[in-house]
Amino acid sequence: MQIFRDLEESDRTMKRLILSTFVLLGTAVAGAAEFAAPVRLEGGGQPVRVESPGYAAPCWADIDGDGKKDLLVGQFNKGKIRVYRNLGKGKLSTAKWLQAEGKNAEVPGVW
Amino acid sequence: MAGLFHVLWGQPGGGFNAAAILTGTDDEPLIIPVEESKYQTENICTRPTAVDWDGDGDLDMIVGNFAGSFYLFKGKGKGKFDPQPELLKSNTQPLKIAGAHSDPFVIDWDGDGDLDLLSGSSSGGVQWAENLAGKGQKRPVLKSFKTLIEAGKRTTQVSENELTGPTMATRIWVDDVNSDGKLDIFVGDTVSIQTPAKGLSNAEVKTKLAALDKEIVEAMTALRNADADGRQAASQRYRQIVLKRNEIMTVERTGFVWLYVQK
Repeated sequence: MQIFRDLEESDRTMKRLILSTFVLLGTAVAGAAEFAAPVRLEGGGQPVRVESPGYAAPCWADIDGDGKKDLLVGQFNKGKIRVYRNLGKGKLSTAKWLQAEGKNAEVPGVW
Repeated sequence: MAGLFHVLWGQPGGGFNAAAILTGTDDEPLIIPVEESKYQTENICTRPTAVDWDGDGDLDMIVGNFAGSFYLFKGKGKGKFDPQPELLKSNTQPLKIAGAHSDPFVIDWDGDGDLDLLSGSSSGGVQWAENLAGKGQKRPVLKSFKTLIEAGKRTTQVSENELTGPTMATRIWVDDVNSDGKLDIFVGDTVSIQTPAKGLSNAEVKTKLAALDKEIVEAMTALRNADADGRQAASQRYRQIVLKRNEIMTVERTGFVWLYVQK
């Protein structure tokens, strides 16, 4: 019957429309993100901060091999790097300078 | 600030060697070559990130620079790189961030199986360039950058207790910090913090600075309009007024690290 064929065609059109809408929605939101308000990190109860003139450069990596990622923060001043060990439960330790050959590691070429 | 790269080679059993200049397969220091006519900002590098960019099994380096563009140094294995870098492009144009100081971080941000490029900026905020190549494609095909996190309030000086987020010169790191299956973003920044001189409240500092700023503008105008005879006195007057700021507050340039947790 023509009316059933029309209804089937209408159903297929509706399905294609719904599918296209989902595809479009998926394309539109790819990579979009919503974030909670930023939180300033602390280590040992003090804000994580760098020496003048600033340029804090964070890195999240397991530096001490204990299975937890730690926070390393590079800075412009002498190219030094602070290490904040991950104490678990969202806590970071007080900072220590990253060591290289028994001295504070420095990357030459900056202030 | 020559634009060289340094590496702290790991020692067997832990620890690091002192920083050493990274060299190419020609044993010469790696550096982005620039023509003399070009600005040196093209080869002063702000950040390298090591990643297998082309899927050949060797770590490559994607590096940012002052100018805000990106270069690829192809890895040749065993810590050596092709000395001739390749400028990253989007379509046929050099891929550039809004602002300067490109700060590459490479990760599959949108979870489609290929590597995307994220970056901080001198202007603040976080930007990302989507890779359209798709899963299994070895060479990324990048769209131009778009904003992922808006830049913070542009400010020259601010009290520490007024900070609500990162400001300028952002440097980023991306990871699933809280293990909820969604990527989060660390953002480092640069900010000038003003602290009231001993005995002054923030409100008193604001009032005094407003009065001083008026004096500074007047002194600057006088200096600009001074003839040769009056220039030295006008210059001294201007310096004296600027130094008065130190009696009202101290200013420290620093940087903090903020965490954006993805909802």
